[in-house]
Amino acid sequence: MTALRALLHLIRYRPWLYAMDAVAWTAIVLTELGTGYVAKLFFDWLTGDAAAGFTLTSVIALVAAAGLARVIAILVGALIDIRHRYSIEVLLRRNLLAAVLAKPGARALPGAVGEALNAVRDDVQTVEDLLSWLIDQFSFVPYSLAALAILLAIDARVTLIVVLPLILVLIGARAVSKSVRRFREAHRESTERVTGAIGEAMDGVQAIQLAGAEEHVVAHIEALNRIRLRAAVRDRLLSQSFHSFFWNATTLCTGLILLAAAEGLRGSTFTVGDFALFVTYVGFLTEIIAAFGDFLIHFQQTKVSIDRMATLVQGSRGDVVAHHPVHLTGPLPEPPPLCAGPALERLAIETMTVAAAGSGGFRVRRASFEIRRGEFVVITGRIGSGKTTLLRGLLGLLPIEEGRIVWNGEPVADPSTFFVPPRAAYTPQVPQLFSETLRDNLRLGREVPDEALDKAIELAVLEDDIVRLEHGLDTVVGPRGVKLSGGQRQRAATARMFVSRPELVVLDDVSSALDVETEKALWDRAFAERQRTWLVVSHRRAALRRADRILVMKDGCIEASGRLDEVLQESEEMRRLWSAESDDSERDAHHVPPFPIDFTASGV
Amino acid sequence: MKLPLRDGLSLLRRYVRPHARWVVALAFLVLVTIALRLVNPQILRQFIDTATAGGARAALIRNALLFFGVAVLAQVLSVAATYVGETVAWSATNALRLDLLRHALSLDPTFHKEHTPGQLIERIDGDVATLSNFFSRFVIDILGNTLLVAGIVGLLFREDWRIGLPILGFVVFTVWLLGFIRARAVPHWTTWRKLVAEFFGFLGERLAGTEDLRANGAVAYTMRRFFELCRGLYPVRRRSALAGYAMWMSNVALFTGGYVVAFGVGATLWRAGAITLGTVYLVFHYTELLRGPISTMREQITDLQRAEAGIRRIRTMLATTSALFDGGSKHLSDGALSVALDGVTFAYAPAQTADAGASGDATPLAEPTVALRDVHLAVPAGSVMGLLGRTGSGKTTAARLVARLYDCQEGAVRVGGVGVADVPLRELRRRVRMVSQDVQLFRASVRENVRLFDPAVSDARILAALDELGLQEWVCALHQGLDTVVGTPEAGLSAGQGQLLALARAFLADPGVVILDEASSRLDPATERLLEHAIDRLLEGRTAIVIAHRLSTVRRADRIAILEDGCVVEAGDRAALAGDPSSRLARLLVTGMEEVLA
Repeated sequence: MTALRALLHLIRYRPWLYAMDAVAWTAIVLTELGTGYVAKLFFDWLTGDAAAGFTLTSVIALVAAAGLARVIAILVGALIDIRHRYSIEVLLRRNLLAAVLAKPGARALPGAVGEALNAVRDDVQTVEDLLSWLIDQFSFVPYSLAALAILLAIDARVTLIVVLPLILVLIGARAVSKSVRRFREAHRESTERVTGAIGEAMDGVQAIQLAGAEEHVVAHIEALNRIRLRAAVRDRLLSQSFHSFFWNATTLCTGLILLAAAEGLRGSTFTVGDFALFVTYVGFLTEIIAAFGDFLIHFQQTKVSIDRMATLVQGSRGDVVAHHPVHLTGPLPEPPPLCAGPALERLAIETMTVAAAGSGGFRVRRASFEIRRGEFVVITGRIGSGKTTLLRGLLGLLPIEEGRIVWNGEPVADPSTFFVPPRAAYTPQVPQLFSETLRDNLRLGREVPDEALDKAIELAVLEDDIVRLEHGLDTVVGPRGVKLSGGQRQRAATARMFVSRPELVVLDDVSSALDVETEKALWDRAFAERQRTWLVVSHRRAALRRADRILVMKDGCIEASGRLDEVLQESEEMRRLWSAESDDSERDAHHVPPFPIDFTASGV
Repeated sequence: MKLPLRDGLSLLRRYVRPHARWVVALAFLVLVTIALRLVNPQILRQFIDTATAGGARAALIRNALLFFGVAVLAQVLSVAATYVGETVAWSATNALRLDLLRHALSLDPTFHKEHTPGQLIERIDGDVATLSNFFSRFVIDILGNTLLVAGIVGLLFREDWRIGLPILGFVVFTVWLLGFIRARAVPHWTTWRKLVAEFFGFLGERLAGTEDLRANGAVAYTMRRFFELCRGLYPVRRRSALAGYAMWMSNVALFTGGYVVAFGVGATLWRAGAITLGTVYLVFHYTELLRGPISTMREQITDLQRAEAGIRRIRTMLATTSALFDGGSKHLSDGALSVALDGVTFAYAPAQTADAGASGDATPLAEPTVALRDVHLAVPAGSVMGLLGRTGSGKTTAARLVARLYDCQEGAVRVGGVGVADVPLRELRRRVRMVSQDVQLFRASVRENVRLFDPAVSDARILAALDELGLQEWVCALHQGLDTVVGTPEAGLSAGQGQLLALARAFLADPGVVILDEASSRLDPATERLLEHAIDRLLEGRTAIVIAHRLSTVRRADRIAILEDGCVVEAGDRAALAGDPSSRLARLLVTGMEEVLA
């Protein structure tokens, strides 16, 4: 789908509203013709060229009537345009948000969140503006034709002398619009370099201060600033001269009219009223051309915007402009009821291969394992061994390159829509909280009875923290949950997961944010919940000891699996991992771990 | 009406002064452009009067050409004014940007903890941009438009006071009424902007949290909330947009009145024989000319008021001073320096804003908690001290005091026998180098990242340093060697590799004291080996304080200190402590590192 087709498709979203919008704006523009004609009548009346019976009162009545008509037309046009714009705006934002939310979670955005937000905010605005301005362009056609007809009827020669250069200007506009865009782009890039460098300097202010590199960093940014100055001045100069040339072309055209009409005015074949009419109408015509020039530039920007949105949704332009209800009136869509389906009996992962987020290589290769109802399965392994990737692949947060997942004997077609509550719920290693109250964060819009909330909080070992929070559950946690400690954030996210009462609980490594005691309490309470099935990543002994099965990951493969004693025996990697752990349940100065590190040998 | 003129102008004066000549040129260009715009209708009048009187053809052509010439000249001059105006505005505000940046870089961590990088970008760049707009708006638009309107009214008075007076009345009434309507529109716009900011806050967080939303089955609920918000925003949006249209409609209505005045006055005086037909046209033309400036003037004044907040923020930031007084005059000797903490007590100042901690720092938000209590530590020159303790025990705080990121409240911190506050900050930081575990990489080449933009450091020196640290091979393996750009997500440098670069940075500076906060995350074995070697080399012949996260580091230490809740609970010779089975260190060595770090 080309950008133009995408825009047409958008127009077809609310065709009648758009048509009414076009009619109203044509009316607004046509009232301009009346205002200009009244000025001609006035001067004709002064010079005695007017029709008989025309008085000052009739001139003033006509001026007032033209003004009033215009005000009414603007009001009607405004009401329609606001409605139409808003429908399109919500539709585009809806499409972007829905598409992002439909992508495998770990790969939902192609770039930074800031970029995505820019698309949702500014690119949507750009497209919406274009549709509105396109209506102006439509309405200019009948206007220009009518104006030209009137001018030609008055004096064909003068009309041609003045209008021909205008058409040349129109062609010129197309040529220049491209370089305007190039300069704008250079300006934007240089600005991004500067703000990026300032951001880095502020982010790394400590490193800079500790290294005494303040002046060098300032000099670095000064150089970027100089580049930006040149780009900015060039951009402004070009767009400004372009713009002011068009918008002030009226004056230049007036000069042309003077030259062309001098003879006629002298010989009274061309009245002062005609002159006034020419100046006004030609003035409007140049403004139309100027607006068309701006429109062309804006159209180029719109193409870029549509493509940026297509990139954001990782799809086609058609996805961006697809028609869907925007629910500005009527009942809001009810989320589908949670269908529990048959309880989990047996989940099998068969030769699953998953590519890691961002990089090209595979982080999990041909992993196979099985979980049965009520089991507590622990995945362990070093940093970078593929534990998180394995979970993400299973849950459909990353696409599976090979292999399949089987739930109660049925292959799962789309894990990303299948492994959602109440079948499964997941807490990532660095969970994201939203800047609302803790209660809203736990509910995420779901209807949750208080008992269920309390139960989830207890399972997540969060109850004491809530008591200590200033407003308890109603504490606003701030952007990304900054008002909570790392451990509190982690456990709030865990509670959020329990709220949906999932069959399968999937929990990524929590130990980086939790101290040993709290993590132990978490496992104690989890273990009491045997009607659920657990798949967790951990390297803590408290978890490993309890596991019905341990999956030892190394370099993206499951190296060993079985109970603790089995994997310790079977796997060198597991022995290494186990020995690196402290034993919190038996912390004792005289306790000797099963595989002690030989410090004397290493020189201590 | 209150304008931020005084604040804005006094701030600008300092930065615009170096460009005084250009400012004079700008003023001249603007004035001439206005004069030309005022002159042109006069030529038009003469043309009409000559034509209707049946004057000479040559005179008419001359008049028409003159009109055309003046129009072209006005055009060229206005573009020239843009060029000069933009150059002055950018040069002046770039200087201000750099001053703000320099200032921000000189402020202590307490300030930076309360301001996110995003906020500071807004301060150093965004607010300054408003100031730049302020400058061009003020000079070109407001002053220029006011002069143009005043010129038109003045010239009409020159024709006849019976023309000047009604038009003056029209101008005054229009400016007043548009201002009146605008004042009623502004609250709607403010409400709209506020709600929209909240809406995008909602969207931004949801876009960032897709994984969490999907995994918790909250997608459908999120979409519903989205529609709910959009629907709720619509009435506000309509009101604010209609307020904008109200400005346009009243403008149309007012100028309809303006034409009535111009036509009425012109016709009456013409019939009385007081003015020529050309003059009637002049009145009509000038009335049209008023349209642009009058309808935009109000808008620009509102924009100016918006600039006020930005200007105030800039001034506040410039007025903030660092808590660290940099007035020392003593000097540090060359070579390894001893380090001593004598009865040091320190508490972090309480954070004042909610966004503190966003920098990822572990400092709590609550009331001042004492981070160190009467701490005594002594590190002889050339020896290595290993600092151990749980998160929050005060290890990092102790290290920060040695590098003088903060000043302690009680006791003294000495380097080479000299109090850290008695040495110029720059010299202290040159001789005491702290390598923190979260390494800040800049979006620049490896070269710039190692030398931190210091052009005096040659490639040869960088390569020599990397070679010494055993990193040359590693750098050569990067696809563009020293030119490889790092610091972007695509560059994909691991935490350990970042630390390698940070070690190279420190090594280049050849400090007398190295403070090393080891990476706590687990590293892949290859990087770990490289790091071990580089650290060994860096610590050679230097005094070092190492915040240890690895057993190998404990092995490297001559002395060990263990902190707990801001107090030293054990300190001494490593070998002696390790040999004493009742010591905490010995216990730690048996149970493993994990416990101390939990």
